[in-house]
Amino acid sequence: MSFSDAAAFLALPLAASLILVAIHAWFGLQVLARGVIFVDLALAQVAALGATVAFALGHPPQSAASMAWSLGFTLAGALVLAFTRSWSGRIPQEALIGILYVVAAAAGFLLIEQAPQGAEHVKQLLTGNIVTVGAAELKSIMPLYAAVGALAWGLRSKLAHRAGAHWAWELLFYAAFGVVVTSSVAIAGVLLVFSFLIIPAAIGVLWAERPAMQLALGWLAGVLASIAGLLISFRFNLPTGATMVCAFGAVLVLAGIASPLRTGPLRGLGRAARMARALLAAALALSGLWLIAAPRADQPLLDGAEYLFPSLRWSYMTGAEREIHEDAKLQAERYRHETDRLNERERRSRWEDRNMDETELRRLSSFLKSYNEMRKGEEFVMREVRARARVRERWPLGGAMLLAALLIVPGLFSRLRPAALRAALRARGYRNPPGGAS
Amino acid sequence: MLPPTHVLLILLASCVAAVSLPAVARDSLKIVATTSDLRSLAEAVGGARVAASHIVPPVVDPEDYQPHPNDLRRLRDADMVVRVGLDFDLWLDQALAQSGNKAIAKGGPGYVDASLAIALLDVRGGGLGGGDGHAHGTGNPHYWLDPMNAEIITGHVLETLARIDPAGARDYDARRVAFLKRLREKLPEWEAQLAAARRRPLIVQHNTWSYFERRFRLQVAGTIELRPGVPAGPAHLAALLQQMRERSVAVIVRQPHEPERSARFLADRTGARIAVLAGSVQSVPQASDFIALFDYNVAALAAAFGK
Repeated sequence: MSFSDAAAFLALPLAASLILVAIHAWFGLQVLARGVIFVDLALAQVAALGATVAFALGHPPQSAASMAWSLGFTLAGALVLAFTRSWSGRIPQEALIGILYVVAAAAGFLLIEQAPQGAEHVKQLLTGNIVTVGAAELKSIMPLYAAVGALAWGLRSKLAHRAGAHWAWELLFYAAFGVVVTSSVAIAGVLLVFSFLIIPAAIGVLWAERPAMQLALGWLAGVLASIAGLLISFRFNLPTGATMVCAFGAVLVLAGIASPLRTGPLRGLGRAARMARALLAAALALSGLWLIAAPRADQPLLDGAEYLFPSLRWSYMTGAEREIHEDAKLQAERYRHETDRLNERERRSRWEDRNMDETELRRLSSFLKSYNEMRKGEEFVMREVRARARVRERWPLGGAMLLAALLIVPGLFSRLRPAALRAALRARGYRNPPGGAS
Repeated sequence: MLPPTHVLLILLASCVAAVSLPAVARDSLKIVATTSDLRSLAEAVGGARVAASHIVPPVVDPEDYQPHPNDLRRLRDADMVVRVGLDFDLWLDQALAQSGNKAIAKGGPGYVDASLAIALLDVRGGGLGGGDGHAHGTGNPHYWLDPMNAEIITGHVLETLARIDPAGARDYDARRVAFLKRLREKLPEWEAQLAAARRRPLIVQHNTWSYFERRFRLQVAGTIELRPGVPAGPAHLAALLQQMRERSVAVIVRQPHEPERSARFLADRTGARIAVLAGSVQSVPQASDFIALFDYNVAALAAAFGK
C-alpha cells in the first residue's frame, strides 16, 4: 500500500485526533491543576449510564431522548463533582471520582443484564475506534467543540483552577468537560481520550511555567504523538487506539528524559547519559548472574537480543547444535506452511466446485492436528538445543555479560583516566566553581 | 422495555438482581444447556418429558459469560447438562465443580459435550493463530450453524436421555426422527432461497459463520475482527476495503451483539449492505427455535443479496 493510500485512509482519523488534542489539552491542564485525573472516565461512564437508563425505558439508542438522558446524567455528575470539592479536605476528590466511576459502571451493567437486546449500542458509547471515524461524526462535534473552546477562552480566568472559586464556575467547568468527553469517548474510546487529556498537558507542565506556553507545548506534543501513532498503527497493522496511547506514552517518556535539557543542555545530557549507562550496566550484570544461576529459565535480555539479532546464538552454540537448531526451524516452518495450505484448501472447497464431505473433513483435521503437534515438537527441539548450549556456556557467557557491565558502569574505570581523575578532584572541592552542583 | 419503577429499583439497589426461576413441573427431567441453540435441540428431542433451560442469554457473547449464582442453583438441580465444548463455554467447568452435582459432572451419566464427532472446521494448533483465526486451537466452535450438525447433536441428546430416562427412550427416538425429517425437508427450501447468494463474496465481522458458509456454499472473502475483542487495525481495514471494491462484495454479516463501527465504516465506503444475522436461537426475536433460526438467517441473507 502506497503512501498516498495511507494518507487518504488516515486523513479523517488524523483530523479527529487534532481536534480532540486541541480541546483536551486545555481541559487536561485544568484537570491536572485540580488534581482530578480520572474525572473523564467517571463522567463518560455516567453519561453511558444515562444512555443505558434511556434504553431500558424503551428509547432507541441515538434518539433525542437517549441523548437527553445522557446529558442529564452528565450534568448531575458535574453537579456532584462541583459540590464535593469542598469535602476534599477530609476525603481526596480522586476517591469520590473513583466511586462515581465504579458505581456508574456497575449500575449500567445491572441494567444491561435486564435488557440485553441492543446493549451493544450502549457499549459503543465507551468504545469508539478513531480509525473508523466518519466525516459526519466530525461535523457534528465541530460546533460543540467550537462553542466550548470559545467559552474556555472567554472565561479562562474564571474557569482556571483557583482556591475558593465559586461553585457555579466549577459546575460550568465540569458540565462543559462532561459534554466534550462524552462525545469524544464515543469517537476515540476511553483509553485514547484519557491520553489526549492527560499526556499533552503533563508534557506542557513539565516543560513550561506559563499556561499559554504549557498549552502550546501540549498541542505540539499531542500532534506529534498522534501522527506517529497513526503511522505506526498503519504500517504494522496494529489496533489504532492502543498504538496511539503507546505513542503518547513514548512521547511523554522522551519529554521526561529530555527535561534536564531545560536547565542546562550539556550538563543535562551528561547526566542522562550517565543514568542510561548505569541502567544498562545493572541490566547486564543482573542478566549475567541470572544466566549463571538459571540458564534454562527465560532470559529476558538475552532472548530479546537474540530475537533482534538471531545470529547472536551462534556465538555460544557448536556447529552441530546450530545445524540441529536450523533444521528444526526449517521443519517447523514447513509444518506451519502445510497447515495453512490445508486450511486454505478446505476453505475454498466451501464454495468452489465441491464441498469436502465429513470423512474428508475429519481426515483433514487429523492431519492438521498432527502437523501442529509436529511443529510443537520441532519448536521444543529448538528450545532444548538452545537451553543445553546455554547450560554449557553459562560461565563464559554470564562472565562476559558481567565484564561488559563493569566496563559500562559510569565512574568505575573512568576514574583511572587522568582527565577523569582531575575532574573528580575538582568535584571534591579543589577549585570548586561557584554555584555548581555536584 | 422496563417500567420506570423497575429501572429506579435497579439503580437504587445496584447489587440485588431480582431473579425468578421458570416454573418447572416436578416429574420432568431438568436439562440445562449452555446456549439457547442446544436448549432448542434438547427440547426437540425431549418434548414434554423434559424441562430445558439455557444459561447464556442469546445476545451476550457466550465466551465472555460469567455464571450467576442462579446458574449454579440450576446446575445443582439439573439431571442433564449439554455444552458446546471446544473451549467455547469453558466457564462451565468451574460452574459444574461448584454445583457439586455428580450426575452432570464431566463423564457423569447426564453430561453431554455436543461437539463430539462433529467434523470440525478451522482446526489450528493451540495458540497458533495463523491469521483469520478464532482464539481456539481446537476448531471453530460455531458448529450448530450447520443445520445438518443437528443430527449429531440430537444423537448425543437422545443417547443421554435414553440412559437417564429409559422409560421415555422410544418417545425420544420418535421425536428426534420427526425433527430431523422436518429439518431435511427444510434444507432444500433454504438452499433454494440462498441460490442467488451462492459463491458471491461476503465479509463477516467474526468467523462465526464457517459451518453456515460451508453448508450453503457461501464465500466468506474476509473477516473484520481477526481476534475476538481486538478492533481491526487500519491496514487490515484498508485491505478489506480494497478487496471489497475489487471483488464487489455486496454484503457484510454481523451479529446483533457485535460492534457495528467497523462494519458501518466499510459499508459507508463501499455501498455494501449490512446483514444482521442471528448467531444463536433467540438472539433476534424471530429466531425463536432451531428451525426458525435458519428461516430467519436465510431470509435475512437472501434479502441482503437480493436484487
